Amino acid sequence: MSKRVGIVGAGVTPFKSAWREKTYYELAQMATREAVKDAGIPIQDVDAAFYGIYNDIFERTAIPEHAIHGLLGMQNKFGIRITTGGATGAYTISAAHAYLSAGRFKTALVLGVEKATDCFDFSSMSATPEVIKTIGWSGDSFFEQPIGWSAADSYAEVVLAYMDEHPGDLKPEITAQISSLLSQQVKNNEYAQRQFDQVSPEEVMNSRLVVYPFKELEICVYTEGAAALILAEEETAKAISKNNGTPVVWITGVGEANEHSFAGKNQKDMSRIMSDYYASHRAYEMAGIADPTQSIDIVELHDAFVHQLEISMAEFGLVPLGKADTLIEDGLMTPGGKYLVNPCGGLIYCGHAVGASNIMSAWSARNELIKRKLKTALVHGTGSTVAQYTACQVLEHE
Amino acid sequence: MSIQREKVIPAKYIPDVGSYVEKIDGKDYLITNDAMHTFYRRSKGELSPFFLGLRDEKKLFGCRCTKCGLVRVPPFLTHCPDCNFAPTELVEVEQVGVMNSTPPITYFATSLFQHMAPYGRGRVIFQGADTALSVNLYTTTGILVPGIIKKGTEVKLVFRDNRIGEMTDVFCVPTAELSKEQIEKKGLQESEINWESPVEPELPAASQEDTAMYNKALAEMKSIIEEMNTNERARKDIAGWKRDILVKTRGGEFAIIIDDGDIKLEEEAPSSPDFVMVCDDPNILLDGLAYRGAITDSVINKKLWISKNMEFNTIFKLDRMARSVARSKKA
Repeated sequence: MSKRVGIVGAGVTPFKSAWREKTYYELAQMATREAVKDAGIPIQDVDAAFYGIYNDIFERTAIPEHAIHGLLGMQNKFGIRITTGGATGAYTISAAHAYLSAGRFKTALVLGVEKATDCFDFSSMSATPEVIKTIGWSGDSFFEQPIGWSAADSYAEVVLAYMDEHPGDLKPEITAQISSLLSQQVKNNEYAQRQFDQVSPEEVMNSRLVVYPFKELEICVYTEGAAALILAEEETAKAISKNNGTPVVWITGVGEANEHSFAGKNQKDMSRIMSDYYASHRAYEMAGIADPTQSIDIVELHDAFVHQLEISMAEFGLVPLGKADTLIEDGLMTPGGKYLVNPCGGLIYCGHAVGASNIMSAWSARNELIKRKLKTALVHGTGSTVAQYTACQVLEHE
Repeated sequence: MSIQREKVIPAKYIPDVGSYVEKIDGKDYLITNDAMHTFYRRSKGELSPFFLGLRDEKKLFGCRCTKCGLVRVPPFLTHCPDCNFAPTELVEVEQVGVMNSTPPITYFATSLFQHMAPYGRGRVIFQGADTALSVNLYTTTGILVPGIIKKGTEVKLVFRDNRIGEMTDVFCVPTAELSKEQIEKKGLQESEINWESPVEPELPAASQEDTAMYNKALAEMKSIIEEMNTNERARKDIAGWKRDILVKTRGGEFAIIIDDGDIKLEEEAPSSPDFVMVCDDPNILLDGLAYRGAITDSVINKKLWISKNMEFNTIFKLDRMARSVARSKKA
């Protein structure tokens, strides 16, 4: 029988646009130090390490985790890296959960870290075009990279196809309001890259088009930083919790799905994010959740783009497909509404340090469940071309 | 429309060997120019017939499953995963198709594609195919704007004059912009199409009112640009960037000079501008600089004309500076 697994410690570094003061070695250790301190255990008590690092080119080395394994005190122990595009962090949590649940280890470190803005474009003398080029190497190398595939244009394909089917949904004034709302929520996250960048819906509407239909203030920002969790199987988790006085937040459901990366008959339906649908519903099933609208209190959602946040909420079954704007129109995610969505500010305002992002989301969900005395949260990561990959976890606070 | 072939890595992308020190909170940090480069002689393997078809025969190939009959374009399979890996066979498909969904348009491109922006990329289901091929999309009428190509729009595959056996050998344009003969012709090439070339808009003569409006807008722009020049965040946005811009409006002409972190407005036109900006109403540019709307969007909406598409880069930087000043005020 599989074992219950819970989060007993968590820590993050500040998320910043650039960490000139640190390499990814130090960022990885900073988050790990915070997580074991939070758990109240020495690193020697951690049995295995699961690394979420997305892109070798960002770290400027293949097998980037080998250099940090010893630096984190994990010498001679199990270590494995997960890399699944934007969903890297969430998939890393899933992987660690599987090993602990199977009884291979009693405790595990889940560490996400990413440097991004060391990349620099000397032709435009700015980092961003080179950062998005680096991500652009993730597109299909035979058919799509050569014609300008990018993460933004590939997600825009999905969003526009959704809008083809649901022309009244994802209205510009609603996406602007959601971005503005997230910018208010980030004020409480002292680790966020844009803690003090509050924007009005009008500012969002006025911001420049980057990739149609996405405007600059509707897109996540590139970030450098790290996030870490300490997971433990049930008996160990309870013992750690008794010592440190912090309740265990249990991972009661996990689910993952990867779609086809090409569109057409028998392949990807561009108007859906089926990976979000399957992953979330598999996690619900494992957690015994029959009706997510009645169970989910907090959603820490990978908001690469505001429009995708809305579609993802629909694929999770929290609003009807085609009526995602009810998130704002019916007050479902406005202050005091039914769902608390991205209290950390999401990846748009806290920042997107790719491998670390979803682990930061889990850090936030766990903290919010405890702080607000709420019961259930959904954590989500999306990635790869055309929102192809998803991993989700249901977190529960007893 | 033609793509200029260069080295695999164009020289402008390659920095000199070197390093510098960045000071943060009184401490020195060493920053080094660097690259991670790998060259390839990469085989197209089983995809070779498809790419040779584009390069040499101007044909579009797919693969048909011998069991279920599904035709996949591109033909990236020799065996069908839906039929327990039954073999597939190569088939030619038509060069007219429809958009599988509305395509995105990229305005802010990666460093590799800035010369191409703005560009559309979308998926086309060609006649005879069941799956969609990812292609670049253009209009013959100038800058691609939302609404020209949508889900269901019929498009024609066009071959570049110079082809190397890559997906860049082809692109699509709406059939509505072509003649019947062009639509029916297999292997239609870019040089067989009339492309509207950008022409600098002519401005009408200014009335006294226009001149007064221009003078007012000019004074405001001057003040905003002076503020930008003293804003640390905004100055960082144009670090390493140098451009002399000639701005033409109905009321008069002036220059915006960007020089590696410095920006200034000069009332005299520059002797050899890097590019020209034309906007009938000077308030369009004023609003952008004042963060009351994006200059990028004014270019897209044809309220502001620029003489070189590549200079979208400079436009982005001006938009970024406007936001930087606004952000600094909040902080």
